[in-house]
Amino acid sequence: MARYLITRLGQALIVVVLVTVIAFLILHLLPGGAARATLGKEATLEQLAAFNHEMGYDRPLIQQYGMYVQRLLQGDLGYSYQLNQSVLEAIEQRLPKTMVLSLLSTLLAVVLAIPLGVLQAVRRNRWPDYAITALSLLAYATPIFFLGLMMIIVFSQVWPILPPEAPQGFTVAEVLADPAGLVLPTATLAIVTIAVYARYVRSSMIDNLNENYVRTARSKGLSERRVVLRHTLRNGLFPVITLLGMYLPALFSGALVVESLFNFPGMGQLFWQAALKRDFPILLGVTVIISIATVVGALIADLLYATVDPRVRLRGSAT
Amino acid sequence: MSESIGPTIRHASSAGSRPLLELRDLDTDIALRRGTVHALDGVSLEVAPGQTLGIVGESGSGKTMTALSIMGLLPSGGRVAGGQILFEGRDLRSLPPDEVRRIRGVRMGMVFQDPLTSLNPTMRIGAQVAEPLRVHERVGRAEARERAVEILRRVGMPRPERIVDSYPHELSGGMRQRVAIAMALVCSPSLLIADEPTTALDVTTQRQILELIDDLREEFGMAVILVTHDLGVIAGRADRVAVMYAGRVVETAATEQLFQAPRHRYTEALMRALPESAIRDSGGHDRLVSIPGLPPDLSGPLTGCRFAARCSFVSDDCRTTDPSLTPGAHQHACLHPVPTPAVAVTGPVPAQVEPAAVPAQVQPAAVQPAAKPATTAPAEVAELPVLSVRNLVKNYPVHGRGLLRRTAGQVSAVADVSFEVRPGETFGLVGESGCGKSTVGRLSVGLERPSAGQIVLDGTDLTDLTGRERRRMHRQVQLMFQDSYAAMNPRMRVDAILAEPLEIQKVGDNSERQARIATLLDQVGLSRRALERYPHEFSGGQLQRIGLARSLALHPRLIVGDEPVSALDVSIQAQVLNLMRDLQHELGLAYIFISHDLSVVDYMADRIGVMYLGKLVEIGPAREVVRAARHPYTQALVDAVPSITPDRAATRDGTTIRGELPSALDPPTGCRFRTRCPRAADICTTEPPLVGGLHQVACHLPLRPEPTGTPTPVQALG
Repeated sequence: MARYLITRLGQALIVVVLVTVIAFLILHLLPGGAARATLGKEATLEQLAAFNHEMGYDRPLIQQYGMYVQRLLQGDLGYSYQLNQSVLEAIEQRLPKTMVLSLLSTLLAVVLAIPLGVLQAVRRNRWPDYAITALSLLAYATPIFFLGLMMIIVFSQVWPILPPEAPQGFTVAEVLADPAGLVLPTATLAIVTIAVYARYVRSSMIDNLNENYVRTARSKGLSERRVVLRHTLRNGLFPVITLLGMYLPALFSGALVVESLFNFPGMGQLFWQAALKRDFPILLGVTVIISIATVVGALIADLLYATVDPRVRLRGSAT
Repeated sequence: MSESIGPTIRHASSAGSRPLLELRDLDTDIALRRGTVHALDGVSLEVAPGQTLGIVGESGSGKTMTALSIMGLLPSGGRVAGGQILFEGRDLRSLPPDEVRRIRGVRMGMVFQDPLTSLNPTMRIGAQVAEPLRVHERVGRAEARERAVEILRRVGMPRPERIVDSYPHELSGGMRQRVAIAMALVCSPSLLIADEPTTALDVTTQRQILELIDDLREEFGMAVILVTHDLGVIAGRADRVAVMYAGRVVETAATEQLFQAPRHRYTEALMRALPESAIRDSGGHDRLVSIPGLPPDLSGPLTGCRFAARCSFVSDDCRTTDPSLTPGAHQHACLHPVPTPAVAVTGPVPAQVEPAAVPAQVQPAAVQPAAKPATTAPAEVAELPVLSVRNLVKNYPVHGRGLLRRTAGQVSAVADVSFEVRPGETFGLVGESGCGKSTVGRLSVGLERPSAGQIVLDGTDLTDLTGRERRRMHRQVQLMFQDSYAAMNPRMRVDAILAEPLEIQKVGDNSERQARIATLLDQVGLSRRALERYPHEFSGGQLQRIGLARSLALHPRLIVGDEPVSALDVSIQAQVLNLMRDLQHELGLAYIFISHDLSVVDYMADRIGVMYLGKLVEIGPAREVVRAARHPYTQALVDAVPSITPDRAATRDGTTIRGELPSALDPPTGCRFRTRCPRAADICTTEPPLVGGLHQVACHLPLRPEPTGTPTPVQALG
């Protein structure tokens, strides 16, 4: 087990390094450059050159990358002149808030999607299945910005019971102190996720209900409830583990559209604004964080599989 | 449910006591998208307490549907549409669902076909076995565990107190089937339904499981319904037999009576389609009696006898009159039944076969003799072998843990195997799963490269050749698969499937290829219309014909058939086996016939090689290997093969092997069979060489010396 972890973490490290290289290269190949973006239109060529020299942007890329990695290893993700704060600080401010939103919506989605999917599988091809399928498809097909706008119009304009804006608090505690503000963004995010998860749970449960071991369970004279809950559910939920593993990066990157729509100062918004302003240190920093989250998400999913499914043996050669 | 059913009621005559289970006019429908299939039509059966009823039939006959109807476990869309299921006098169809569920859980138990998928993969064995106790008898956790251990011990599970904490994937197929039996028996049911309980298992394991069910029946005094396609399994085990065809019971009688004097023409034909019925001690085997055509589609309306379309004794009234079961102890639903032995003495119509008083000896007049008796093709010493395999070794590396994935060990799949196949000869390769027979097949056709050894094809050693030359040489050897459907691209039409080998080898132009394909179809007995259809439109037997046609496309000299008939019903199997033999004589083909089924290999092969755990343990002329086995393992295999002939079924006390197949990752030193061999001695720790003349054996203590006439350097039986 420990050996497996070391192997996997080693692989993860390689992936993260590669991601930083690629991100670094792409960002530096972009025209315009950080200097112009930071100093503005009025800056003279001398000023730009001075800025580039000061930041090391005039050195060879390899050298720049070396310096970046060196700082990275010391926990220094760089400094954003545009935000006038260190990248780490910027992320530290926003990441917890993004996680609140993502966790809440994921939790909501899982709690609702699993029973819905199970219900669909058990009542397969009857009206509950058809109804939920139709709603799922509708939710899945609706663009999230449109869904969010509709939520705002319906629940804060037509029927004003909820605020149209997410909590603007500076800390997590302040955000949580305004639960009403969290309802619409959380719900918007969750609705699409529910549709996806329920679909997976449904098809996985249907597959499992047709398995021979379920017939064996029925031959023992068990109630249908016990057959579904005790025998099938656990095997039917394996795909959800994969989904959750894939969702972990989103927990960190935030939901760009929803955060913009509800004006929620999270990671998504940070990244979006940095991209508009060519704020390289922020873009790189966020990329690194997300790549780590992606690799760790996959690892956590694999570890979860190993605990839930006795057939899965963790071996060094697993990928 | 006040009366207790003790073991004393065993073999109670059906006249005296009330039957435990009685089916009256049972109709079962299955609604599918394309219509409703009438899976069962008026099925009536009885099982007395303590009795074993065998239900036998081919796929689609309704035998499994009968079992599932009784258990209330029909697949989705299935429902019992009419009739009664009287269990202990009460109709299960009119009882409330909860009551039926309790009866199902406590009074009945069921064992299914595939032990590998029948257990919940994520639940511990103990929890699964004890679950009926916990649910129906509200037994506490500790006691349930104890009783699970107890019943596991009873079904012959080694170290049950540890097994209860294991998961299914940690056990072999045979052991999982024992778990399934334990689970069915944990509440001491009065009825056990076993649906093809041993079909997925090897013969030696099959024997252990069938004996276990027999023993338990006596001990628990329960009735058993044994559902199977295998007449041999039924012959040795059941008190009564019901033969089903196309959703109906066509014949039912006491086992001995049914096998000695079948009355229904279907039963008779089924028995004569078995390879063992056509095997002659002389060595020249009769042609198998195959049943032409396919069973009827049960979704449409059917009039008359359902077997009429395939029956050789059919008359006009068969197609119009619906025959019903005759009354009495031996019931049959046939308008022109096989005459009873008494009537037969007066002499039947020449066209009809004499009564099959002993089914294994079918009147020769009724069957065409084999085109050429197998052993009359003597090995001409001058003739070069088509294929010569020398010291073949195949190891599969097993990777260890860690970053570097060092090779931690190897699975010894084939270990030093040598044999020759001469032109026009059939070489049979038998052994149980994991013995390496399929690997030998794949190596012979060049699908894999050997770790060591030579494969000499027509005098050329394939292992030396480069890619292109090898490919050219491999025209000479073709492979025929067990599951032809899986071996064909489902999106290719049959014409494309058959043309592909020709295109790959760049043989001929388009019109020549079309002509070749047409010839192939004729050879395997399919109509030209098959060309425009896709694989899924064919039945299993037809697919095997297409598979055979594809392997014939390049005029090979040798065809390697890997279990080519194992997935087929007996009547279809006979068609394919006959076809393979006909083509062999017509085209001078040689076969390597790989199978786990000794009776099929016995019928097909001139010489047989027996493999165990990667080693060839015995090799010799077919009839000698089967009838005068020299290796204890071969003898155990021979003894384990179920037979419909009573005297062969009776001699069951030969060599029985116990225990499990050792891991090929770490095979036993010396003789690989010694860990399970009843005759093992100290000398067996050294590896026995394969020695002898025509009939070679790799055993220090062979069961019998090689027959006289050949020089035998082997040490004689002590």
